[in-house]
Order: sequence, then C-alpha cells, then structure tokens
Amino acid sequence: MIASLRYEFAMQLRRPSLWIVYGLVVAVMVTVLDYWSLDLGVYEVSAPKEAMGVAAQIVVTLLPIVYGCMLADRLPRERVLRVDGILDATPSGRTARLIGKYAGVCAATAVPLAIAYFGRALLYVFVEGQPSALGWAAVTFLASILPGLVFVGALAFAGPLLLPPMVFRVLFVAYWFWGNVIPASLMPTLSHTVFSATGEYVRYGLLTPIPPGYGRASAVLDFLRPGYTPATAWLWIGVMIALAAAVLSLVRLHASRSES
Amino acid sequence: MRIDVSDLTKTYKGGARALDGLSLVVPTGMYGLLGANGAGKTTFMRILAGLLKPTSGRVVIGGHDLATAEGRLAVRRTLGYLPQDLGVYPDLSARRFLDYIALLKGLHSRSARRRRIAELLEVVALSDVADRRLKGFSGGMLRRVGIAQALLADPRLLIVDEPTTGLDPEERIRFRTLLSQLAGDRTVLLSTHIVDDVAQTCRSLAVLGHGRLAFQGTVSELVSQAHRQVWTVTTSGPAPAAGRVVSALPEGAGMRYRVVSAAPPDPYARPVEPTLEDGYLALMDGRAP
Ligand SMILES: Nc1ncnc2c1ncn2[C@@H]1O[C@H](COP(=O)(O)OP(=O)(O)OP(=O)(O)O)[C@@H](O)[C@H]1O
Ligand SMILES: [Mg+2]
Repeated sequence: MIASLRYEFAMQLRRPSLWIVYGLVVAVMVTVLDYWSLDLGVYEVSAPKEAMGVAAQIVVTLLPIVYGCMLADRLPRERVLRVDGILDATPSGRTARLIGKYAGVCAATAVPLAIAYFGRALLYVFVEGQPSALGWAAVTFLASILPGLVFVGALAFAGPLLLPPMVFRVLFVAYWFWGNVIPASLMPTLSHTVFSATGEYVRYGLLTPIPPGYGRASAVLDFLRPGYTPATAWLWIGVMIALAAAVLSLVRLHASRSES
Repeated sequence: MRIDVSDLTKTYKGGARALDGLSLVVPTGMYGLLGANGAGKTTFMRILAGLLKPTSGRVVIGGHDLATAEGRLAVRRTLGYLPQDLGVYPDLSARRFLDYIALLKGLHSRSARRRRIAELLEVVALSDVADRRLKGFSGGMLRRVGIAQALLADPRLLIVDEPTTGLDPEERIRFRTLLSQLAGDRTVLLSTHIVDDVAQTCRSLAVLGHGRLAFQGTVSELVSQAHRQVWTVTTSGPAPAAGRVVSALPEGAGMRYRVVSAAPPDPYARPVEPTLEDGYLALMDGRAP
C-alpha cells in the first residue's frame, strides 16, 4: 500500500499537465473571483479566520474541477500501459494497492490546490501581519476542504469505470456546477446540502458566522439542508468519508468481478 | 518446483476456448512450451501466474493449489513473471520502476533492494541507462527491464512468455543462456516461437495445439518424430510437391531444398538428420489431417 502510494504520488505530481491546468485556473481565480482581495463584501478582510474562510470558499468553487479532471484517467492507467500483468503477479494485495493508489494520486493532485490555498494564507500573513492566519488556514483546509476532496477524489477516481475519461470529465464539470456551485433556488440541486463537497457546513457550522440572510429562500431537497451547527458540520465530514468509502468499495468489487 | 496441471480448460467470455482439457506435469528445471499463434500458451501462463481463473481443471504448483487464495498468494511469493505484452510506466527510470516492483514483491530493506537492482541491471546490461526514463527505451531494452523485474525476488518459479522476441541475436543468446543457468533448482517455463531457443536450453518440452497437449517429452523425442522424414533435394526444376519445404538455398544453377515429408519427395532425395524444428513441423503435419 505504501509502495503504491509513494509511486503513484510521484508519478502524478510529475505530470506537467497537472501544473499547467491548475496554473490557468488559479489565474482565473485571482483575476475574476476576488482571490486577490478576499473581499466578497461579507466579512472584514482584516479578520484572519474569516478571510481564510473566504479563501477556502473561492478555492472550492473552481479548483476541485481541475482536481477531478486530473484524477479521471488514473484508474485504468495500468491496463492502458499494460503493466497490470506485472503488478498483479506480485504478492501485494489488490485492495491495498488500490487504496494506496487512490491515496497517492489524490494527495498529489491536491498539492497544487494546497499550494494555491496556503500560498494565499502566507501572502495574507505578510500583508496583514497576522500570523494566526496560517493556523486558521490549516484548520479550515483540514476540516472544510479535505473531506470534500476525499469524496470528490473517490468519485473522479472511479469515474472511468462507467465512462471514458474524456466523457467523464465533461460530466464531472457539469456535476460540479450543478451539485456544488449554483444557488439551491435555481433548480433541484445538491448544492448547499450535506452531499455538496464545498465544505460550507464546516465553515458556517464550526468556523465563521453565517453571512446574514444566507440560504433562506426555500428550495427543493431542503430536507438535505439542515441548519449550520457544529453537529451538522461533523455530519458533513462523516457523509463525505462514508461516500468515499462506498465508492471505493464499489471500485474494488468491480475489479474482483472482472478478474477472470 | 513441480507444476501439476490436470484437465485444465479455459473458455473466454465470448466463447473462445483457449485451453481444452490440458493435463501436463512440468518438472524442476528449464521447460519449453511451443505452439502456433493462438495455441493457448499465453492463456496457460497467465493461469499459472494466477492472473486468470481457469474455467475448470486443477493446477498445483509446488504443492500449492491455485484454486485457493492462499495457494495463489504462496505461488506469487515465489514467482517471476514476464508477460508477453509487457508494459512499463514511461515516466519512471528503469531503476525506479524496478524499485517499485521490488517493493510490491516485498523487498522492504532499502539497501538490499538497491543492491539487488544494481546487480540485475548489470545482468541485463542496462547499468548505463538505468536512470533514464523508460519512455526512451527500445523494444529490446524494455524486454530486458522486464526480465530484470521478473528476477527481482529471486523466484523459484520463472514464467517467461516469449522473452526473446525483439532481442537481437547476441542478446537473445545471452538471455537464453542466462535462463538456463538460472534453471538449476528452479523451474523456468519458457514459451516461444523460436524452436532453436528451446533446442539450445531445454531438456524437455511440451507442444500445445488448439489448447490441447500435442506433445510432451524430451527434446530428442520430439526430434525423433521427424526420424527418416527429412530430406534434401537439389534440383533446377520446380520445388518438390510433396511434404513441407523447410528451407531453400540457391546452389549452382538450381536450388537445394530441405523437405519434411513421410515419403521421399523426389527419387533423388537424400535423407538427412532431423533438427528440433523438423520434429516440431513433422508433429504439426502429422496432426493436421
Ligand atoms: N482476452 C481474451 N478474450 C477472448 N479470447 C482470447 C483472449 N485472449 C486470448 N484469446 C483467444 O484464446 C486463444 C489462445 O490465445 P493465447 O494468447 O493464449 O495464444 P498464444 O499461444 O499465446 O498465441 P501467440 O503465440 O500468438 O502469443 C486464441 O484463439 C485467442 O484468440
Ligand atoms: Mg502468447
């Protein structure tokens, strides 16, 4: 498991396209989405906890799309490269290898995202002179971004089981906007539910105050939108991890069924 | 390590029957596996390596039954496998690729791993390019990487599926010699289309035809299949009509043909000593009708 984790991490991290695509999207984020100012008109930018919350909110609007798309071709890679024969003939367990690969590939794909986030936090420390922002950044990343990445990573990792990677990517982008970004009142959507991967349950339930008037309009699927409390924040983290585990078990099940 | 195969059948999804009631005993040592394209050699080897489940039949390797998960694991621990359609990670260097496979094979000590990899890179003559990416390797170089990875964990059982295709003659001879040196107290199962590779390295062999056992025995027994069936004919006329022409060499104004045929293909044909290839062809011809 550790071997697969290490090598899959290294191979994914060294893909030039990973850095290029992330670079382009970060550029969009900085120029269009106020990642430079961190001022969405809700909180005081000078409050480090709130500012790091806003930074997280902006990061999870677009970067998970890159994260998912870069993950989408990893699962069938051994078969495509025809190394599966060699790997399967080793005494290493297939489940362990699968989990190691999932963890390694997801971790590598999250590195540029983490750099974008913690880079902004560092910049904040220098500009605002508040070192506590780094601590808040770490907490916000771990509690509100990471669980979402764990789930979305499993989803994108498993995607090519059903669809060719290119088709999956298109659908994944559509899913991301539909299920995470658009307002709940627009159409029936998973946005702002506990199944949405953006981490707002943790941000508003545990970390920062809820913006005034936020999420009041009633919408379809509102039963999936309990209020923002510490309990629902933990619930969301649990849901993300459970979904990831479920998706990965399906992948393993699929693999053992097609072993013949 | 002895391999006992009984009544092994493999039918692929879609109905292709690749193995059809194959029963075979492979003793310790170097063992050749011959057969035409599509005869079932790769299917057989993938089953032995635990990559493919047979439709029916039983395989016991060194006392481990492949039908059980423990049996397959025990075999994998002592297995070196070189697949026919070998692939690698193009973005890793040869050394890093071998390191990854060594880790998967359970060589956990870093220093032991390093030593073993350096040793094997030397054996397959890749030390100079060990730190280059595999992306730039030629087909023959990749094969040698494949051979090195198969040998990593000092396997008791070595399954190599057409390892010499794509190697130049020198490299091919070096490699088959290496295999037979390795054999000793190990079992090396070598499949190939190059009959000479078997003739030069194996004492016994099996021939597969359409998923069944066409022959099992020693090299000299297969050679004797062509006993008094190999002829040379020198003629300036047309090629002999009877039998199978094995070679044709220009000689003076005419041609000298080597022919495998039960009866003399020509009144002036001279009998000659058969080779393993002649034996193989005689066997195939004898089965064809
Ligand atoms: N994955 C597969 N699905 C369906 N049929 C297959 C598959 N693999 C092999 N076959 C069929 O099984 C038969 C045996 O194939 P196999 O690859 O074992 O032969 P082989 O002796 O290794 O041939 P070659 O010398 O060309 O490598 C062939 O008829 C082939 O078409
Ligand atoms: Mg084959």
